[in-house]
Amino acid sequence: MTFLLLLLPPLLAAGLAFIVRSYRPLIGWINALFALVSLSAALGLAGQALAGGEALTFGPGQFLRSDSLSALLLVCVTAIAALTLFLSPGLGRTIGYTDTQLRRYHLFINLLLFAMLLAVVANNVGVMWVAIEATTIFSAFIIPLTLTKSSVEASWKYILLSSVGIALAFAGTVLAYLDFVALGGEAQNALNWPVLRATAPMLHPEIMRLAFIFLLVGYGTKAGIAPMHTWKPDAYGEAPAPLGALMSSALLAVAMYALLRWKVVTDAAVGGHYADNLLLALGLLSLGIASFSLVLARNYKRLLAYSSIEHTGLICLGLGLGPLGLFAALLHLVNHTIAKALMFFLAGNIERRYLSTLMENVRGLLKTMPGTGVLFAAGLLALVGLPPFGLFVSEFALFRAGFALGYFWLMGAVLVLLAVAFVAFIRHLNHMLYGVPPAGVTIGEAGNWRNGLLGLGLAVLVVLGLTLPAPLMGLLNQIVVSVAR
Amino acid sequence: MPTLFAQLSTLLSSLVLLFGITLLWRRSLHAYVDAFQWQSVTLSIVFATVAYFTSNPELYVVAAIFFVLKAVIIPLYLNRLEKQVGERPESQPYVNIATSLASAGLLVVLAYLITYPVVRVSLLPTRGGLPLAMGLIFIGLFAVITRKQALTQIVSFLVLENGIALLAVLGTFGVPLIVELGVFLDVLMGFLVMQVFVYHIHGTFESIDVEQLNRLKH
Repeated sequence: MTFLLLLLPPLLAAGLAFIVRSYRPLIGWINALFALVSLSAALGLAGQALAGGEALTFGPGQFLRSDSLSALLLVCVTAIAALTLFLSPGLGRTIGYTDTQLRRYHLFINLLLFAMLLAVVANNVGVMWVAIEATTIFSAFIIPLTLTKSSVEASWKYILLSSVGIALAFAGTVLAYLDFVALGGEAQNALNWPVLRATAPMLHPEIMRLAFIFLLVGYGTKAGIAPMHTWKPDAYGEAPAPLGALMSSALLAVAMYALLRWKVVTDAAVGGHYADNLLLALGLLSLGIASFSLVLARNYKRLLAYSSIEHTGLICLGLGLGPLGLFAALLHLVNHTIAKALMFFLAGNIERRYLSTLMENVRGLLKTMPGTGVLFAAGLLALVGLPPFGLFVSEFALFRAGFALGYFWLMGAVLVLLAVAFVAFIRHLNHMLYGVPPAGVTIGEAGNWRNGLLGLGLAVLVVLGLTLPAPLMGLLNQIVVSVAR
Repeated sequence: MPTLFAQLSTLLSSLVLLFGITLLWRRSLHAYVDAFQWQSVTLSIVFATVAYFTSNPELYVVAAIFFVLKAVIIPLYLNRLEKQVGERPESQPYVNIATSLASAGLLVVLAYLITYPVVRVSLLPTRGGLPLAMGLIFIGLFAVITRKQALTQIVSFLVLENGIALLAVLGTFGVPLIVELGVFLDVLMGFLVMQVFVYHIHGTFESIDVEQLNRLKH
């Protein structure tokens, strides 16, 4: 039942946006309320996971399944989705979009949300793949909401690269299934994750090794792990702010989720540190490429994209660092999801005022937009991992995990790269906050509920930096225990 | 002496791979679409063959859907698209034809190397075709990277997908139907989106040469 409350609202919202021929603000508001229904359903599933510990299933052949890992992801995705839908264009302000564009936006953003939620609760890893592939298609419809040369270029690169990448993930899924069929014959539920995992120790390690490479490249492309990250700055740079927010936080989390599911199966089949070492290598590479790109960045939306590659790298490192690392990685995933979504909305505010995404054109932010400026500065400081924000705690936990396992050189390199990123961020931030605003940019910003909502998100980050709330702690512990089992 | 099933599946897989290699030595878009169409027809026959020898009625359905989707609908759309945006030969791919063909050979050898552990432990009658399927995946990937026009990139991507379909049918005798149907839906929608973008690229850049897509830096 809870599953239906989770999955139906985005479908209904998409249907509503589709049926009503010309867009009306009421549709946007109803859609936003629907997202709140999904959010409460996700919280309900998380509550049940905390109380029971057993995975819940639903539908014929246990089609849907939710354990503590899914529940954590569901809460992240639906929370960001609700925020996105409330801050979408067409709710009280149209921001220069036509009715047709607004209708298309609301249709596809809800379909995107549905696909992400389905990917997280699908029991069958094949269905999970289908849903993740669908996210690419739906988001590609929204990036070029206004057709310009840059937006068309960005979406073409995005759709081609992501489609190729995700196709390789399917090849990986097939390879894993191939061995299963050879061992136990065909079975309808063979691709269900618990079944796959239980059988994994009997699978041939050499086949699973090959399969994991394909899965890593495939879902890694979707998550934007280097060297498959090249679409990311383009797509995030050109996407409308709400879509950028959703893609850089929730969609990234879903891709990492898929990777984690397969890593657990691979570990059970291959043993040792095979998957860990691959993740550590790619994590470090992502961090390295991102840090130096941050120094060179000239566009603040692309800056956020590079930062997202950096954090994907950190999460990869965490996944490769044993149980402590997994704990840190998941906590970091939660923190990054909140922080990055906020930053994209603030970047959207700045873009509308300055009509440019180049940092050289954005000066005197604190003077022109005091509210947005302060939030933007705080958000950037959170992203570089300063206390009292949640990312400080999770990065600290990551280092502890690395040092506990004796990876001194690796963690040293990570520290240096984070320092490079830190300096780059502070330099860019200084440039944007102070100085004389360019002529023609209006000064002053009225307080509004939208910035209030973003401030609330920032407050959550501070809470996560000061303490680890008991329900979150409980969920994370459950996940770590269930993965290690 | 390999069984009839083993021989047939390897023979048909080789044909599917050959149509993939055709992409690398033909230039006109028309030839690309033709090669893709014939490859899809052959691949539907592979599906039907596997269905016959494993007596799996579900696979006949999959073969039929595959045929309609990839051998009829998508080529039809591709040809229409080609008429509307104007045919221009893939004049200068990033890698010339001779090098492309040599690379294709190397890629197939590589496919044999990396699928060796799989083939060694597998008892499937169809295992002989697995390296060929992997080779086709690599060739599709290579073609996507080295072609310069949006339309040829799409066809290369579809060929890559065919490689994965071949791997799936030879290795697993068909993934579960629900997944297969989802994959078809994604293929169709993905293709339609890409097709829309060809129009967009054509409309905003007045050409479908993706070499011009180089505005976004830093």
